[in-house]
Amino acid sequence: MAEIHNYTLNFGPQHPAAHGVLRLILEIDGEVIKRADPHIGLLHRGTEKLAESKPYNHSIGYMDRLDYVSMMCNEHAFVMAIEKMLEIEVPQRAQYIRVMFDEITRILNHLMWLGTHGLDVGAMSIFLYAFREREKLIDCYEAVSGSRMHATYYRPGGVYRDLPDKMPQYLESDFRTNKELAQMNKNRQGSLLDFIADFTEEFPKSIQQYDDLLTDNRIWKQRLVNIGIVTAKRAKQLGFTGPMLRGSGVAWDLRKKQPYSVYNQLDFDIPVGVTGDSYDRYLVRMEEMRQSNRIIKQCVAWLKDNPGEVMSDDHKVAPPSRVAMKDDMESLIHHFKLFTEGYCLPKGEVYCAIEHPKGEFGIYLISDGANKPYRVKIRAPGFAHLAAMDEMTKGHMLSDVVTIIGTQDIVFGEIDR
Amino acid sequence: MMMALWQAFVVSTHNLLPWFDGVIATVLIILIKAFALIMPLMLVVAYFTYAERKMIGYMQLRIGPNRVGPRGWLQPIADALKLMTKEIIFPSKANIYLFLLAPVLAIAPAIAVWAVIPFAEGIFVVDLDVSLLYVLAIGSIGVYGIILAGWASNSKYPLLGALRSASLLVSYEIVIGFALVTVVMIAGSVNLNTIVEAQRGGILHWYWLPLLPMMIIFFISALVETNRAPFDVVEGESEIVGGTHVEYSGMTFAIFFLAEYANMILMAVLAVLLFFGGWHSPFMGIPYLEFMFSWVPGIVWLLAKSSFFMFLYLWVRATFPRFRYDQIMRLSWKVFLPITIIWIFVVALMTQLKLGVWFG
Amino acid sequence: MGKKFKKLIKNFSLSELRAGLGITAKELVNKKITVQFPEERTPISPRFRGLHALRRYPNGEERCIACKLCEAVCPANAITIESEMREDGTRRTTQYDIDLFKCIFCGFCEESCPVDAIVETQIFDYAFIDSREGSIINKARLLEVGDKNEDMINKTKLEDAKYK
Repeated sequence: MAEIHNYTLNFGPQHPAAHGVLRLILEIDGEVIKRADPHIGLLHRGTEKLAESKPYNHSIGYMDRLDYVSMMCNEHAFVMAIEKMLEIEVPQRAQYIRVMFDEITRILNHLMWLGTHGLDVGAMSIFLYAFREREKLIDCYEAVSGSRMHATYYRPGGVYRDLPDKMPQYLESDFRTNKELAQMNKNRQGSLLDFIADFTEEFPKSIQQYDDLLTDNRIWKQRLVNIGIVTAKRAKQLGFTGPMLRGSGVAWDLRKKQPYSVYNQLDFDIPVGVTGDSYDRYLVRMEEMRQSNRIIKQCVAWLKDNPGEVMSDDHKVAPPSRVAMKDDMESLIHHFKLFTEGYCLPKGEVYCAIEHPKGEFGIYLISDGANKPYRVKIRAPGFAHLAAMDEMTKGHMLSDVVTIIGTQDIVFGEIDR
Repeated sequence: MMMALWQAFVVSTHNLLPWFDGVIATVLIILIKAFALIMPLMLVVAYFTYAERKMIGYMQLRIGPNRVGPRGWLQPIADALKLMTKEIIFPSKANIYLFLLAPVLAIAPAIAVWAVIPFAEGIFVVDLDVSLLYVLAIGSIGVYGIILAGWASNSKYPLLGALRSASLLVSYEIVIGFALVTVVMIAGSVNLNTIVEAQRGGILHWYWLPLLPMMIIFFISALVETNRAPFDVVEGESEIVGGTHVEYSGMTFAIFFLAEYANMILMAVLAVLLFFGGWHSPFMGIPYLEFMFSWVPGIVWLLAKSSFFMFLYLWVRATFPRFRYDQIMRLSWKVFLPITIIWIFVVALMTQLKLGVWFG
Repeated sequence: MGKKFKKLIKNFSLSELRAGLGITAKELVNKKITVQFPEERTPISPRFRGLHALRRYPNGEERCIACKLCEAVCPANAITIESEMREDGTRRTTQYDIDLFKCIFCGFCEESCPVDAIVETQIFDYAFIDSREGSIINKARLLEVGDKNEDMINKTKLEDAKYK
C-alpha cells in the first residue's frame, strides 16, 4: 500500500506575488494548505550592525531603506528616539511638517498596498490607478527633499529645509499641445502647500473610484471575506499592531493612545473592523486613507498661517545656516564638528514607537555616551505579522495564500533589515 | 460574382488535370481553401494580441506599445521574431516526446475547428450537417494539450495548473452543451448555416432576446474555456505563475499562445453566429435603413459583431479580479447548470405555445 | 418582500460588475498619464539629487580646498581624497574619487561643503557603460561635469539658496 505524503511546494523567492523575497514552503494536500513555513533573511543587509559603526545622522539614510514604501515614517521613529535622549525642543512648524509628511507617507503606503494586493488577486487596473495618485505624492517628496523615494528629510531637531515656494512644472514637448500642458500644470502654479491642498481636494474622488471598482464587487468579496480570520484575543497574543489589530476589532492606535508630535491637536477618527478577516482589513485601510486626507488638510491650513523656524536652534545638534557658517567663527566650528564627529548622546536607553502605516514601528536605542549608538534595535511590524502566517493560512487554499500575504502588507525591507 | 469566379476555378482545375482522376485537383483545392483560412487567421491572432496590449493599456491610463514601427503597429511582428529565435529549454527528466507533443495537441484542434465556420452565405471551407456538434467535439480535444503540458513538464506548478484545468474545462463543456441545446431547440437543426438562416429578419429575430441568460452563460463559459480572466486560474500568474505554460519557452510557448487566442476568436465568432444573427445586417426589416446599408457584405457584419465580443474579452480582463478555483467549480455546478436546465424547460414551453416570432 | 426582490434582480443582472466595467470604459477615453521618456521629462525640483559635480569660482579657480568634510560625512564611504600643496602655495586635492556604486545620493556631501564645491546636479540619466571603472568618477571628470553644466547648477543653487 503506497504511503500518501503531502505535496511540498516552494512558493519561492522568485514569485510575482511574494512581495520581495519570501521563500514560503507550503505543504499542501491537493489545494488545501496543511502547513506554511516562511524562510526569511534573503534581504538581510545588516542595518542594525552598520548603525553601530556610524554617527547618528548617517543612519537616517538606512532607516529610509527599511520599509521602502513608507520612508519618512521610519525616519520619524529614529529621529524621535534621538530627540528623546537629547531632550531638545523641536519647533512647532517642524512638528506640523513632520505630521503632514507622515500622513502623506501613510497614503503612499496604503496606495501601494491597494495596488499590489489588487494585482495579486487579479484586478490589474487598480495598480495603475493607485500609482497615478502616488506620482503626485512622490512629486511632493521630491520638491521638499530632492529625492523621490529615500528622502533623508527628518533630522534630529527638526526637518532638513523648509517647504519650497514653487513647484516644478512640466516642460514643453512635441507630444503635448499647449492646452494639455496648461491642464497638467494647473495645480503647480502656487507653492508646495497649494499643490498638496489641491491633492486633498481631488483625492476623495479617487478613493471613490477604487471603492466603486472593488468594494461591492462580488468576485472581490468572494476572494476576501472569511479569509485569514484572526480573533481579537489571538491578534493581541500574536503581537499584531496597526490595521491588522484594528481589523480584528481592537481599537488601538498609537496616535490616540500615546500621542506623539502634534497628533493631540488634530481632529481625526480611527476605523475599527469587526470580524478580523481580510475584507475588514481592506475596509479599515481604505478608511484610513480618507482620515489621513483629513489630517493633511488641517496641517496645510496651519502651515499656511504659521511661518517660522523648521530646525532647532541648538547648534550642538543641528547645523547652522550656511550664511551664518560663512560669517561667524562659532557657527563654522559647530558646522565642522557636526559634519565630522557628529553629536554625542548621554548614556542611557530609550524606546520610541510611532504609528507606522503597517503597525507599530519602534526603535530601541542604547547609547554609551559616544557619537555612535551602542545598539539600535528595530521593531518592525511586519515581522510579527509574517510569523503568524502559518496560523492564518491553515485550512485555506493555495490562492488564499496570496491574498493573506497581501492583506498582511508584507514588505521585506523591514522584516529582514 | 466571387462565387462564380471560384466555381470557374474549380471546374477548370478538374478539367486541366484529367489523369489522376481529379484527386490531385481536389487536394489542391482543399489546400488552397485551408491556406486562405489559416493565413488571415494567424494574422488576426497576432494583431489581436496587439489590440489587447493597446486596449488594456488605454483602460489603465497608459498607452500600450508605441515604439516598434509607427505607433507600435509592428509590435506583433517583433514578438513573433523574438519567440522564434529564443532557445527552447527542456526541463530535466521531462519526457521530450510528450513535452513537444503537447503544443501540437493544443493548436491542432484550435485550427481544425475553423473548417466548419461559415463567414457569410456560402463562404466556408466545408459544410457539415452536424457542424455545431463537430465544433464542440473538436474543441474539447484542446484540453488534452494543456493536461499533457502540465504532466510532461516534470514540475509542480504546471501539474497544479493541469489538474485545475482538467476539471474546470470538463465541467464547463457540460454547461456550454446545455446552453447550446436551447439554441438547437429553437433553430431545429445542428447545422450552423441553418441556425444563422433561421435568424433572418432583423435585430429582433436574433436569438439573444429569448435566450438572454443563455447568451450570458455562453459568454462566461467561453471565458473559462479559453482560460481568460477572471477565470485564468490555469495560468494563474500570481499564484501558479504561468501554470502549464511555465516551462515552455520560445516557439513552443508561441504555439500555446496562438492556440489560446485562436480559441478566443472562435468563441467570439460562435457567439455571433448562434445568438447575434451571424452575417445578417441589423437593419433588416427597417425599410429605409435596410436599403441604405444593403451594400455592406455579410462578412463585414460578422467581423464587426465579433470584434465587439473580442473587445468584451479585453474589457473584462482589465476590470475584474480573479476567482478562486473552487469558486469557479461552484459556479458551474451550482449556478449555471440549474439555470440552463430551467431555461431548457422555459424554451420548451415557449416552443409549445408558439410564442414570439422565433417559434413556428 | 420588495427589498428581497430588488436584491435578487440586482444579483442576477450583475449590477456592480457593470458599474466596474463602466469605470474602466470611462478611463479608456480619458487623457493618458504616460510621459514619453527620452523626448519628455517629468518635472524636477531644484533640490533634486543627481550626478555630482565640482564647481569653480567665476574667475576659473576651482573651489575645492581639500578640507575632507565630504569624505568624513559620507555615510557610504564613497569619497576618497588625497591632497597636496600646489606650486602657488594653496591647498588643493590631487585625487578626488566618488565611487558611484557606493554612493546613496543622500546629499550630505553637498550640505557639508563650506565653499559649495561639491554639488549634486539634476542629471540622472548618465550611463558610464564603457567599463566598471568608468563608474568611479575622478576629479577631472567631476570638473568636466561642473563646467558643462555650470548654468544649470548656478540657477538651481540660487533658487534654493534662501532655504539653506
